Amino acid sequence: MAGPLAAPVTSAPSEQRETGDRRAARRPGDRTPRAALGHFGIGRTVRPWLLLTPSLIVLGALLLYPLVRVVLISLQDFSGLRAVARGTAEFIGLDNYREVLRDEQLWRTVLPNTVVVALACVFLTVVIGTLAALLLESLGAKMRAATTIAILSAWAVPAVTGTYIWIWIFDPVNGLVSKAAQWAGLVAPGGENWFLDRTTFFAIVILNVVHHGFPFVALTVLAGLLTIPAEMVEASKLDGAGAWRRFWSITVPTLRPVFAVVTILSTIWDFKVFTQVYLMPGGSGSNREVLNLGTWSYVESFGQTEYGTGSAIAVVLTVVLLLITGIYLRTMFKEGEL
Amino acid sequence: MRAGRAVALVALLVFTLFPVVWMVVTALNPSASSASATPTGVTLDNFRFVLDEGGFGRYLWNSALVAVGTVLVSGLLALLAAVAVARFRFKFRTAVLVMVLIVQMVPLEALVIPLFIQARNLQLINSLLGLVVVYVAFSLPFAIWTLRGFVAAIPVDIEEAAYVDGASWTRMFFSILLPLVAPGLVATSVFSFITAWNEFVFALTFLGDDSKYTVAIGLRNFFGQYGTNWGAVMAGSTLITIPVMVFFVMVQRRLTAGLVAGASKG
Amino acid sequence: MRIRSQSRRLAAVALAATTALVIAGCGDGDSDTANNDTTNQSLTVWIMEGTNPDATPFFDKVKTAFKKDNNAELNIQFVPWSAAHDKFVTAVGGGETPDVAEVGTTWTPEFGEAGILTDLTDKVKGSAVADDLVDSLQTAGEVDGKLYGMPWYAGVRSVLYRTDVFEELGLKPPTTWDEWLTVAQAIKTAKPEMIAMPVAGDNEYGVYPFVWGAGGDIATLDGDKWTSKIDSADAKRGIQFYTDLALKHGLSSPAAATWKETDLRDNFGQGNVAMMISGSWTPKSIVEKAPALDGKIGAFPIPGEKSGLSPSFVGGSHLAVFEGSKNADLAWKFVEMMTTGEFANEWATQSSFFPGLKSLLDEATKQDDPLVAPFAEQMKDGGETVPVTPAYGKVQAKKTVPAMLQAILSGSKTVDQATADAAKEMTSEMQG
Repeated sequence: MAGPLAAPVTSAPSEQRETGDRRAARRPGDRTPRAALGHFGIGRTVRPWLLLTPSLIVLGALLLYPLVRVVLISLQDFSGLRAVARGTAEFIGLDNYREVLRDEQLWRTVLPNTVVVALACVFLTVVIGTLAALLLESLGAKMRAATTIAILSAWAVPAVTGTYIWIWIFDPVNGLVSKAAQWAGLVAPGGENWFLDRTTFFAIVILNVVHHGFPFVALTVLAGLLTIPAEMVEASKLDGAGAWRRFWSITVPTLRPVFAVVTILSTIWDFKVFTQVYLMPGGSGSNREVLNLGTWSYVESFGQTEYGTGSAIAVVLTVVLLLITGIYLRTMFKEGEL
Repeated sequence: MRAGRAVALVALLVFTLFPVVWMVVTALNPSASSASATPTGVTLDNFRFVLDEGGFGRYLWNSALVAVGTVLVSGLLALLAAVAVARFRFKFRTAVLVMVLIVQMVPLEALVIPLFIQARNLQLINSLLGLVVVYVAFSLPFAIWTLRGFVAAIPVDIEEAAYVDGASWTRMFFSILLPLVAPGLVATSVFSFITAWNEFVFALTFLGDDSKYTVAIGLRNFFGQYGTNWGAVMAGSTLITIPVMVFFVMVQRRLTAGLVAGASKG
Repeated sequence: MRIRSQSRRLAAVALAATTALVIAGCGDGDSDTANNDTTNQSLTVWIMEGTNPDATPFFDKVKTAFKKDNNAELNIQFVPWSAAHDKFVTAVGGGETPDVAEVGTTWTPEFGEAGILTDLTDKVKGSAVADDLVDSLQTAGEVDGKLYGMPWYAGVRSVLYRTDVFEELGLKPPTTWDEWLTVAQAIKTAKPEMIAMPVAGDNEYGVYPFVWGAGGDIATLDGDKWTSKIDSADAKRGIQFYTDLALKHGLSSPAAATWKETDLRDNFGQGNVAMMISGSWTPKSIVEKAPALDGKIGAFPIPGEKSGLSPSFVGGSHLAVFEGSKNADLAWKFVEMMTTGEFANEWATQSSFFPGLKSLLDEATKQDDPLVAPFAEQMKDGGETVPVTPAYGKVQAKKTVPAMLQAILSGSKTVDQATADAAKEMTSEMQG
């Protein structure tokens, strides 16, 4: 049907909307779009690249070199300030990778902490964010604006500050939670140090990360919800669909791209959580049981000016994240979402 | 149902606002030696200190310049790129999308030194403009991916109709596309703003002059080696939080107006 | 059409903002050449933020004096402590180091050994203060006999206590470990709502006095290899006493197991703590934040195990000149100005630290202030340094000692286990 410079992409929901409308596909030789595509009559091979060029320049000029350097450094014995000053070091092949991947602590403590916490954070952030978005959509315009601003404040408070506030809320001596627990008789008068035990420690971290991260999901999903045509919703209401069914048969399919972005990015960020763990009591290296990938890589490598191993960890992490998100991406590509 | 919604709303607000309220209460507390301290009064001294000796008067302006610059540049670049990726099928499309995402995956500490060297080579060091360029690079992935989704969700027919009416691509872009992706632009704008507003590592590394410091650096200044000024930390944090919300209100109003007008066209 | 005019407005705003940025950004890129002074000499100096609460007026005076004496500009940049080390490393990587910088004493060996600091030995030998440097600070700044950091200021940790509590219970500052235990227990019995002697888990400087006081060492140098001695019998005895205060005698609090020094101080300021190991620079800031404690704070040097003092870590800052400075002589003049004479004294007084010269330190110790004399005594008679080698910087970055302490305090390891593990890790870090 169409040649290699084929039809522009339309996503599934558009096709749903345009049931019976066959004009979505472009016919070869159709002059209207090309002329109407304006001044760049050069055609559709050049146009997309022209639009992409500014972004690619910024990303390429700024980040291509550093990314290549990170890989190169990971293959060198880049250890200590001397190496940093010199800029290069002895080439040692995959030794850094071996050292990193053989570290028992990585497999026993660090990775399990990171994966479990990240999964919990992503799940809760997306769920709570989506629920918040649905709630916001159902409000009147004024209430919606006010509530959105309120929610935004959780995202706007700097992560550093937010972390300290959560630390104080759980402060064993003076914190609100501790005082409440003591008053309720659940805890000894001296207070319980929630930060010592791995489970309670990360429960607080998850609370912190979700609190900070759900507004982003809420805002993005809300934006998506607002673009769903009202007619679609009305039509399905007339058909007798309840809220639950409407959510799953209209909202989710329409917003698949939005959910995809939000989930992928949340996964990437929650895997790399650093500040929220590092600033917690014991989180900066004195409690070995609560190290996650971000803090472990800092304490073991960058903090000690060991850039070789640090870069190796960075490369490994990037590859792992690529694999994880890759699975999701492939599904999306297969279903023509992308 | 009404009651359920009200309860949910209250729960949401309490969950969200509780730490924020605590921050403000401590900022106003004259004896904020630690924020678990009970408030002993209300005072603006912490705010005065932060704006004056803490340098926040200057830093807020610097941060504003950088953040607005980032939002505008990354918004424009991302929108163009999103149109390219959403509307056209071309070779390497997948590669470009994935490459853009990789930027978000690489841990920051690994990138700091090489990025610093690169920025220095490009003469971006010690300038707010240099920071804008870096922050644009960091906010592009989310912006491109999100806007791609919004652009892709716009039926091609609407565009076609505009061309049939005789509109040029530019006209179509501004009067049809832009209003319909407006909510997406709101989300990505806020994201870019917050990225630029709160970023600390590169700001400190790049800037060689106190007068160019951003608020994120200014905040860290209150965490001394030998003790922390919690009152100042919370007051500074409050001053950091407010502009974000102001920004959101402004963006929301401008862009949703466009959405309403656009939607009413059918 | 509303939308088009809105978009136009948007574009206009964009253009305006970008222009403003370009002006702001490019404007001061080359401020050195665009000088309106007749000089073209200037120094870039990095100072740590927060040491001196009146730093800005102080440096205004310094700038004026420097300009008068040397006809050169000073470009002073304040850097937050928490991010300073990273900023140094990045600057080294990018070749953008300052001319002079304040360097923490535990960083000087690392920087000196890496070859990024200028050797100051000859400059000091030829100056008036050749024999006047405080010993512990001088040692901390030397690598292979070469001095890389000029002592600027230092402080030491002793015990800060609540004089009103002691008075009320008729207690006197202890002079041995046993007396210390008795005093603490007396406080606990009479005032159970207070923490008598908290043992902060995330604080290595709190445990060193007990290691040294018992006659032990953190690590020793055999030839050119460092070996950790934190699992020696003496060291273990000291660590056992310290942690027993918490675990056996209940004189601490479960919260303290994860406390940093700053948390310790915050709690003291809130009135919860009776005694704490803290630095000479803290009483002033504590009273500032908690005026209710004014006149109720005292200090005593850390008691020795059976007599005398337990040594305590002398920490502070050096001023260092960076290799690659284009104005090395000018840089040294600045260093000299800051570390000797009037400015040195003023800085020390304003930030409540001790100056880095013996002569100035002696003057300070003659002061009658009860909150200065005990610290001065500790610094003169009981000052120690951690192993002066870049390798120890790595051990500190990895938090080997705090991890050891925390493991003991949380009950997950015994003193024997924890010290053995810590020694193994420390030795491998220092030798690897």
